[in-house]
Parts: sequence; structure tokens; C-alpha cells
Amino acid sequence: MIGIVSYGFYIPKYRIKTESIAEVWGKNPEDVKKSLLIEEKAVAGIDEDSLTMAFESASSALSTVDVDRSKIKIVLFGSETHPYAVNPASTILAEFLGIEKNYLAYDTEFACKAATGALISAQGLIKSGYSDYALVTASDKGMGKTHDVLEYTAASASVSLLLGKDDLILEILDFESFSSDTPDFWRREGMRYPSHGGRFTGKPSYFYHIEESAKSLFKKTGLAPKDFSYGVFHMPNGKFPVQVAKSLGFSFAQIKDSLTVDYLGNSYTASALIGLMAVLEKAKPGDLIFLCSYGSGAGSDSFVLRVTKNLSGKNRKEFIKIIKDKKYISYPTYLKFMEMI
Amino acid sequence: MTHIIGYYTTQFGELWEKSLFDLVEEAINGVLKQTSLSNKQIDAVFFGNMLAGVLENNLHSPSKIAEILKINIPIFRAEAACASGGAAFNLAKNYLDANSNKNVLVIGAEKMTDYSPEEAITALSAAASGEEQEAGLTFPGLYAMIANFYLEKYQYTEKNLAYVSVKNHYHGSLNEKAHFRKKISVEDVLKSPYVAYPLKVLDSSPISDGAAAVILTNNYDMIKKQKYSATVLASELITDTISLKERKNLDEILATKNAANMAFKKAKINRRDIGIAEVHDCFSIAEILAMEDLGFWKKGEGGKKIKEWGTMYGNGGDLIVNTSGGLKAAGHPVGATGIKQIGEIFLQLTKQAEKRQVKNVKYGLAHNVGGSGGTAVVTILGS
Amino acid sequence: MISPVKIWRRQKEIRKVLGKKGKVLAWTKIYTPGSDFKKYAPYPVVLVELKNKEKIYGQLVDYKNADLKVGSEVISILRKVRSSTNEGVIAYGVKFKPL
Repeated sequence: MIGIVSYGFYIPKYRIKTESIAEVWGKNPEDVKKSLLIEEKAVAGIDEDSLTMAFESASSALSTVDVDRSKIKIVLFGSETHPYAVNPASTILAEFLGIEKNYLAYDTEFACKAATGALISAQGLIKSGYSDYALVTASDKGMGKTHDVLEYTAASASVSLLLGKDDLILEILDFESFSSDTPDFWRREGMRYPSHGGRFTGKPSYFYHIEESAKSLFKKTGLAPKDFSYGVFHMPNGKFPVQVAKSLGFSFAQIKDSLTVDYLGNSYTASALIGLMAVLEKAKPGDLIFLCSYGSGAGSDSFVLRVTKNLSGKNRKEFIKIIKDKKYISYPTYLKFMEMI
Repeated sequence: MTHIIGYYTTQFGELWEKSLFDLVEEAINGVLKQTSLSNKQIDAVFFGNMLAGVLENNLHSPSKIAEILKINIPIFRAEAACASGGAAFNLAKNYLDANSNKNVLVIGAEKMTDYSPEEAITALSAAASGEEQEAGLTFPGLYAMIANFYLEKYQYTEKNLAYVSVKNHYHGSLNEKAHFRKKISVEDVLKSPYVAYPLKVLDSSPISDGAAAVILTNNYDMIKKQKYSATVLASELITDTISLKERKNLDEILATKNAANMAFKKAKINRRDIGIAEVHDCFSIAEILAMEDLGFWKKGEGGKKIKEWGTMYGNGGDLIVNTSGGLKAAGHPVGATGIKQIGEIFLQLTKQAEKRQVKNVKYGLAHNVGGSGGTAVVTILGS
Repeated sequence: MISPVKIWRRQKEIRKVLGKKGKVLAWTKIYTPGSDFKKYAPYPVVLVELKNKEKIYGQLVDYKNADLKVGSEVISILRKVRSSTNEGVIAYGVKFKPL
């Protein structure tokens, strides 16, 4: 059985409230909040990027287990905001972590599902006997154009997962992936900010791919939403995950703990995984968790995860308390941190 | 024994019309005229400069000076950050200790205002270690760390530091060659914007252009013929770690202490014999530390002593400090400062200091520091 | 552009001091930085003594003004340390944040 041995996450300290952005553009903050269901989002500092945040989350993941780093022969870095267009952040991360040098590393891109896709590949590599462990990191300093809806949602965070075969805290029971060519949200080479197709990002994109991916996994495993203690979905805003969960047959109670987007924003590749972090703070041994990511372009990875008795003590990390350590910033400071001015 | 027989300094300030070697040429011609020497009578030249390589891609300065002097003799360049001038003088004195009957020209010069303040600040941080530069510690930042540490340890405030700048600006108003001639008050200093906490603009020496030159000789016939002369009783140069963090104590410059002890021993005089001193006040805190490390004040009492105004011209004190205006008011063209300091002592000892002439001085001391204390040169002159 | 070789050599040293706790020995706040640090100004710089007695300089980030004092407890973290050109290799290095 392959699964997750330990995990770590990093949320930067700074937050900007929806109203701080709305009032600059003359919008009614209550209207914006009602439409997106986001109160505030996390913003990385001017000297942070996807790599520095990945180092924090990966260090956290490796700090609670006693793993011989020379046995980590797979390092995968999933992001939409890689530090370089050409130059692997995965090896920069590995070097800083002291993982050397007989390992396979590469950076992945598939919009917001870059990291969950890498989870599937890593799982296969461990199963084939190539490596005992794999480190998969999701990390983004999400960008959005000013005066665009993404400005309220694009956020920063990182999650790292150490996969292995023994002493698992989460078993990966099964998974599926559903892909198509659907240009709902994209960023051309050399452009700073992503572009999107407005309402096209909804029904034919987010909803279609998540529903199809979920349904094929339910069919494959014979499981239904009622069998799960928790559902965790990719969160581009506060409304979509609630709607898709309902349409699949999950109750609001099953997904409410995972809705981190409401107070942290959408951290792109880390988005669904941050939702998983919130759930793992409370999940009990034997709980089944349904995790479903979405990446524009488009595709969706879904997973059936089972919590083991090892999710306890120092292997279970505090989430709510950690994210309460925050500092609000103004709109100009936000623009400065994102290097937009 | 080596004597100084002449001194010339250019104006210090923003000298837009003059390039580095224009300033060098002016200083050379000036000091040769002062001493009625011809270029052919110079046996060796020592040149102190820090930034020509970094800012202007100009090295091999000895050869440039040979072009100006139009003679073929040994010429050497010394670099020790802000102690480049003092280092050049020290080497010149050692040269004369080893070669008899020679006349040596020592010049210090710097051209800093052709570049933006950021470029100049970045260039000056070459005097700091690689790690200090990487942490974003500018030169003022290093002295600010020292100042902050000193103020906290000995329970003083920023106000104590301000007295240094006020005194030195008053002296600058008496020196026509100074960069700044305006007097300032303690309030002016406290109101000026921060450069690196707790040091403010008016705690910091400026970016200036300038050149200064002296002629040294150990030829007794030459000395007898000259109108003005002063004896070089000692010149000692000591180094310490470039990194502030590797020093033994953050509130003292060990290189200054050791150089001073050696210089006083060589000169065979005591601290209380010194009536006039030029100390390295690149920042206000530096003068306070200098007075303590040179042995004039006890460690930690500098913040209190400076408020007594005892070292200010006109108050009848036993030791007057920085009559040139110091680095703060006279300006700090880096390579020139060390020579200007020695020149100012020379002027005082030979009664040429006009409006700022201190009476009855027999011995003077010049103190030049490189970086945050990586090099210190202490020179003692007698009349 | 900072030499990529220098950055590469430096990063091996940086690795050794990440994630270490220490105490502030001295500090200042820089208001007029050199060109590579302009966008971070004003920023505090601290001199920290780690538990193994090693001394390290670094900017202090994610701080409150009350943290700027001798004796503050801090931990070393990885951040971008200087901005070169848009073309150059990114310089990652050590900064500190209050514990």
C-alpha cells in the first residue's frame, strides 16, 4: 500500500481583506463577498516565492519523521508560478533539504492540479520499486490582474507530502484522472498574469471535469459520497466547491471543514491540498476522504484516501491555530509584495 | 627622522568640473609650489584611493601619476577602504625609515560624485565582508549596528551622538576648504531623516570629491631650507577582522586601540601631551568610539563627555578634536581623508591654521579607520 | 547580473544554517540601501548568535517593532535576498523571523 507518510504546509503571514481591494475599484465589498464567498486571502511577502514557501512546507513535512533523506529518490514540484521558466525548482528545493544526489526530479505544470498529477506519478514510481519515498510539493504565489475577479481569489501557500510504503498516516486506496483540451484559464509564455474565459470556467470546465473524474472513481471503487467522512475539492472561489459537492451528492457538513478558500483564498496548485490540511487536523482513523483537484486546460484528479491510526501525536499538525497568526496589509502594500508596482 | 615639509588640499565637496586625476594634479602642483620643490626632486610617491577601480574601472594609478609628474620613479598605490590615505602615509614613512635622504610625495584622492548615491553606497560597501553585503548591510548600517549596541549598553540616546556633528560643523565653518560651512544645532541633527537607525543624515559624513597631498623628507638639508616642518614621531597601522561579527567586542575598535598604544610607545609621549587630534568621524558614533579607543576617554563615558563641549575650538580645552571639521563637515573623499587629517595637524603645529588655530600645541595625532574597523592608522606628529 | 557560480557556492553554505534558532546581538534598520536592496527598504538587519555560537547576519522579516531589540529570539528561514536583473539567477539566502 502506498500512501502519505507525513505532510507539511506553509501559509504566509499576510492577509488582504476583500473590502480593501473592492473599495479601490469602487465596488461594493458586500456584493463581491456574496458572489465569491471570500473574506480575505493570504499574500506572500516581497521576498517570498514558490520555492521559499515550498522549503517551509517540505521542511515541516520532513521534521516530524525520521527518514533517511538518501532514500527520497523522487522530488516533484508542482506550481503555476515557478521561479524560472527554465530551471528546475525541484532540485533547488532538494539541495536546500539535503536530499542528494541520486534522485529523480522534475517540475510539473497543469494549472491548479500540477501537484496532484505528480502524486499519481510518484505513487507509480514507488510501486515500481524505484524509490521508497517521494516528496511532492505544491506551491504558488498566485497572481491575478488588477481590477479582475482573480484579484480577490489568487493567493499564496504551499503543501508538501512525503509518500512512502510504511508507517502511513493516509493510504491512497485508489485514484482516477480525467483530461481534455478545454481553454478556460491559461497564461501565455512571457505574460505575467493569467487570462480566463469568464463564465466558461464554470459548467464546461470546473464542474464538468470534477463531476466526470469523481463519477469514474465512484464507479471504479463502488463507493458513493455517503461512504466518505470528508470531501475536499479544488476551490477557485467559495461557491464552486459547495455547488459541485452538492451536485455529486455530498452534504454541506462533509465539506465545510475543507473550505479554506473563504479565509485563505485560492492558492492554485496548493488549493485543494490546503483544504486537505484543514481536514487532517480533525480526521479520525478509518475515515475515508474524497480529494478532487481541478486544473484548467483542463483536467481533474480524484483520490480515495483512508486515515490510519498513525495520524496522531506529532504526525498530526495544527492548522486553525497556525493560520490565526496573521497580519492585514493595505492594497498598495499588496501590490508592492506582488511586485506589481 | 622623517619630517613633513608641506601640505596642500583641494576644496572638498561636489567638484563637478574636476575628474579624479584633475584633483590629483591640482594637489601635486599645490604641494610642490608650497615647498618650492620641482617634480624632479621627488624620489617616490605613495597614492591612497579606494574606489577608482570599482566606480571608474581605473586601476594602475601609479602609472597615471607618473604621466602627470613626468618622471620615472617608484610609485605605489595603497588601499585600505577609508584608511587608504593613512595606509599610503604609513608606507611612505616606512620607505623613508629604510631609505636615507629622500623626498616622498603622499597623495590621497577620491572622486565620488560622478555616480548616483546608490552606486556610491554599493561601491562603499566593498569595505564590508561578503556576508555583510549579502544581508543588505550598507556601510552606514554597520556603524548603525555599533551605535545601537553602544547606546543600549551605556544607556545613552541619539541626542548624545548629535553633539559630535554640531561640534564638527562649527569647525567646518572655520575651514574654507570644508564641504559644509554651515553651523547646525542638536535639533537639526535629531530632525534629519534616518539613514540606518539610529544614525540619521546629519550623523553621517557626506559623499565628497577631493585630494590632499603632503611631502615627507628625511633629508636634513632640505628640512633646514623649508619654512614649515613637523616631525613624524610615529605612524602605526593595525588590522582586524573585516567582519564586524568576528570582532571581540562590538563597542570598540581594537585596531585603533592597538595602533594607538604602539604609536604612543614609539613617540615616547603620553595621551595628555596631545593638544590637537583629527579622529575618524565617518559617523557620529565613530568619533565617540575613537576618543575611547585612542585612550583619551574611558570606555563607555564618551556619550557623556561629548556633551561637555570640551573638545570644541574656543572652549579652552586641553585637547581640541577635528578642527578641520572632521569627516562630517570637511567632507569624506575616502582616499583623501587620511592625508587631510595629517595635513590639518601639520597646519596646527606650524601655526598655519588661521581662524581655527589652537594655541600652544606641541603634539598632534591623526586617526584614520578603514571599513567598520578592519584597519586603523594612528600617526603622531610633533612641532 | 550576480555571478551564478558565486550564488551556487554560497547556497551550499546557506543550507547549513537554515532552520536554526538564535538570539539577536545587535540590530539596525536600513533606510537608504544599495541598488540590489532598494525594493526591500526600509528593512531591519540583525546580527544573530545561533545556539552553536556561530554568528550570522540577516534581514528580519514578518516582525513587529517590539521584536527589534537585543536578546530577541529568532529562527533562520529561506527567502530571496537580493534582486539582480530580470535575467539573472535568483539569489536565495538566510533571513530571520521572530519566534
